[in-house]
Amino acid sequence: MKILFMNGSSAGSDMNSYIRSVMNSVEAAGHEAGELVLRDMDYSPCRGCFNCWVKTPGLCVFKDDGDTLCREFLTADIVVLASPVIMGYPAALVKNALDRIIPLIHPYLEDVGGEVHHMKRYKKYPQLALLLEKSGDTDEEDIEIINNIFLRAAINLQSSLKFLRLTNSPAEEAAHAIINN
Amino acid sequence: MRLSIINGSPRGVSSNTGKLLESFTKGFLETEGNSFEILHSIKDRPDFVTEKEMFLGAERLIIAFPLYVDAMPGSVKELIESLEPLKGKNPSLKLMFMTQCGFPETHHTRFVERYCEKLARRLGCLYNGSICKGGCEGLTVQPPVLVEKVFRKFYELGKIYGETGELDTVTLGKLAHPENLTPENLKQVIPMVNNFLWDGLMKKNNALDKSFDKPYGGNL
Repeated sequence: MKILFMNGSSAGSDMNSYIRSVMNSVEAAGHEAGELVLRDMDYSPCRGCFNCWVKTPGLCVFKDDGDTLCREFLTADIVVLASPVIMGYPAALVKNALDRIIPLIHPYLEDVGGEVHHMKRYKKYPQLALLLEKSGDTDEEDIEIINNIFLRAAINLQSSLKFLRLTNSPAEEAAHAIINN
Repeated sequence: MRLSIINGSPRGVSSNTGKLLESFTKGFLETEGNSFEILHSIKDRPDFVTEKEMFLGAERLIIAFPLYVDAMPGSVKELIESLEPLKGKNPSLKLMFMTQCGFPETHHTRFVERYCEKLARRLGCLYNGSICKGGCEGLTVQPPVLVEKVFRKFYELGKIYGETGELDTVTLGKLAHPENLTPENLKQVIPMVNNFLWDGLMKKNNALDKSFDKPYGGNL
């Protein structure tokens, strides 16, 4: 399997070495692990112009690293969003990255379990997983709110949420959760 | 009464969020002596200096944004992160939120609404409610009768807010209709949105034949 880590942590954070350990374990088990260090990438926030849906279907008008985000996301089997929880939600770096992958889905709506959601553009999409580092003010309610939002975001991204885990457990356990069903 | 507003829409002034706020403030201004100020935060990233000043000085503040990937747009998350050092610095602030989404059902906004309520507590402010509204994509191409009804409700909500200083729960409920769609509604609404809104926009751009293009690989 190809596992993509979208690293939303800051340069000095311990989370970088934690992600590295998880990647090493995943690779040791014979899988391919890739990392996008979001803070080192250049992508603007989505401006909601919808040109990627109605003018140049599938392609964003911005010529920046959003292109890499889309390509790497689409070609992974599992995408691990690795991020600190800041003000009760994953980092803006991660949210801006997610907003920029909407060219991968189709604007058309369809009925998914009695609710309106977006249709696919491609055949296959990766599973999503959340690897979160708590901040001083993060509590159980925050984690529940994040989990509930991402269960829904996963539907709209033609994916499913494999798990939400915190970085306070050993990296080997996180790696195990990623590569096992 | 003085109302402060941050429009967090990435589309800025010309956004659907902006149009809805316009109706709300029109109603709000019907009460003599009321006034408001509004900022479009997309212009002020990444430092949000004026938004931070507004947060510190405001008595009543609405943070408004469209739903992006089931939550606040990334640029609004940047704004929220910039408010972290201001936690507890304006304990009498009456903080409200307005979230609109393109999906026809308001239900989609309820999950970030819970985040917003928690955010008000996290910032040490008084949470004064959220305005939630589905069905807001393509307000410019929807039938004028429907659009007028939406604007009218925002006007009424703003008018009552201007008189009482409270978001009226009955009007909020009417505004949120439909919270969910029945199976019959779904069968009607889905082809309507796909054909009129999306196909219409693609046709305008000569892109309808490219609708299902796969620029990252035809085999994917």
